[in-house]
Amino acid sequence: MARYLRKRVLTGILVILVSLIINFSLIHLAPGNPINLLAGKDNPSQEMIDTLTKKYGLDKPIYVQFIHYIKTLLKGDLGYSIMSNEPVGKLILEKVGPTLLLALTSIILALVIGTALGILAARKRGSKFDIVMNGLSYLFDSTPNFWLGLMLILIFASKLKVFPTAGMVDLRTQSEGIAKVIDILWHLVLPLTTVTLIQIPYYFRIARSSVIQTMSEDFITTFRAAGMKENRIFNKYVFKNAILPTVTVFGINLAYVISGVAIIEIVFAWPGMGRLMMTAISKRDYPLLMGIYLLLSVSIAVCMIVVDVVYAIIDPRIRYD
Amino acid sequence: MNKSGNFKMKIKKIISSINNVKQLKAGIILLALIILLAIFAPLIATHDPFELNDDMVSPPSNNYILGTDGLGRDIFSGILYGARTSILIGVVAASISGIMGTLIGGISGFYGGKIDAVLSEVINVFLMMPTFFLILIIVALFGSSMFNVMVVIGITTWTGNARLMRAEALSLKQRTFVKSLETIGESKFKILLKHIIPNGIFPIIANTTMNVSDAILTESALSFLGLGDPNVMSWGQIVYNGKSYLTNGWWISTFSGIAIVLTVLAFYLIGDGMNNILSPKLNSNN
Repeated sequence: MARYLRKRVLTGILVILVSLIINFSLIHLAPGNPINLLAGKDNPSQEMIDTLTKKYGLDKPIYVQFIHYIKTLLKGDLGYSIMSNEPVGKLILEKVGPTLLLALTSIILALVIGTALGILAARKRGSKFDIVMNGLSYLFDSTPNFWLGLMLILIFASKLKVFPTAGMVDLRTQSEGIAKVIDILWHLVLPLTTVTLIQIPYYFRIARSSVIQTMSEDFITTFRAAGMKENRIFNKYVFKNAILPTVTVFGINLAYVISGVAIIEIVFAWPGMGRLMMTAISKRDYPLLMGIYLLLSVSIAVCMIVVDVVYAIIDPRIRYD
Repeated sequence: MNKSGNFKMKIKKIISSINNVKQLKAGIILLALIILLAIFAPLIATHDPFELNDDMVSPPSNNYILGTDGLGRDIFSGILYGARTSILIGVVAASISGIMGTLIGGISGFYGGKIDAVLSEVINVFLMMPTFFLILIIVALFGSSMFNVMVVIGITTWTGNARLMRAEALSLKQRTFVKSLETIGESKFKILLKHIIPNGIFPIIANTTMNVSDAILTESALSFLGLGDPNVMSWGQIVYNGKSYLTNGWWISTFSGIAIVLTVLAFYLIGDGMNNILSPKLNSNN
């Protein structure tokens, strides 16, 4: 166990280091001069050039610059946003909440619904339900998330006018307390449905195939031959074995979910990190962009490691790989 | 039996195995249709897809089969030409990722030892990176030409292929024919290129077909975010253009999106069908 843990943590540290190197090199490799990139304009004033040169040590050799860059990061300084002149860290922290709300809720919903549907389909393998579900899982897998979001807006917001088209709260009513919570939930429905729908096929397929696989194992056949009831076999032996793989997928899925959420935020004007990132891209706010990327890669790496370790605790077979 | 007879037998065998796997059959028919439409786009298109007509945001009619966008461009013609962009980007990006994955995974699995330890770690690290954001940043910094988009998608998505090829190489190098080749002094790299890769390539081909779908989706997402190549017609861009006309011009985003869904579906079905042929027990749906 200790060996496995050490190995995974080492990989995690490497991921963070590689992200740092990529982040650092991108600024230096990108067309144009890093000063212009960091200043956000083509003709920065001499004073600005001097400050930036000093801050990032741009006149020193590249490896000194890299060490300097890491040192600044360790102090928690992600640099300053060009658009608002505020610390990048602060800007990001403000937007983390809405993104996490959307991402975590959708992951839990998709995990539960997808797994349940997958188990049902596997138990009724070859039935109409199974065939329809399989077809739907292909279809949703092929659907671009942003387009699905637009279609939901088109149907439920523009035509039926059931849900709001965009945003997180109704700016006209300025509600407080419980009313505000309800307002947020109301705005959450469409974006959440979109992000959940695109994840369901993933869990559906994993659950379905692992149930089918477990059901065809020899020990299950033995139970059947011995006359054990089908439901009892399932509840006692199949379910647990079949549910385990979803946990690993959960970790791998994370990066995919976060990028999906980022795009959906833009579709629904949801005030989270995805939207912040797009604003950073369109305004050429590179310090902000790099800060978001760094924070995302580090947190995704940490989450994946945690999931791996949890999985190794639940399923001892993993450790001996 | 003469050579052509043998060849005919092979073709027959391939066709019968395609017929047996429903997904594969459906996918191939769908893809063939889409490719035909893309090839004959200039003949089928009713308008120049870039031409700005006077009828702006005009609903589907006899003149404009699928309507026009906010600048009066014909959607139907745009979708036909967009097929070329999407398929080209998808296939080139997936091929880059396939070739990189095959080489890295093959070297890692076949050479083993320290090389494998290092390369496996590289694969693990890349698996944990949020690829889409990396693609987004690189395209935003380096420009969104079609070439950039293809290369960037290709070089960031090879990990899946590398893992598959590594597993194949690990098992193939235990086989007698590889061992005997080593004994008679064939160089390692030659064995890798001539025997290991050709014998283990099929899962990579299946996976690469699925990767075409992912690449098409990634490209359309980039275009939707306004980071597509402005010089070519792409489905993601049409969806993006239609976003502001959702209430009064639903057809702009709707039809271009359906085009993406169908094309991506075709590649998924084919890739999945190939996987079914590979391991019928695990994947059989019926």
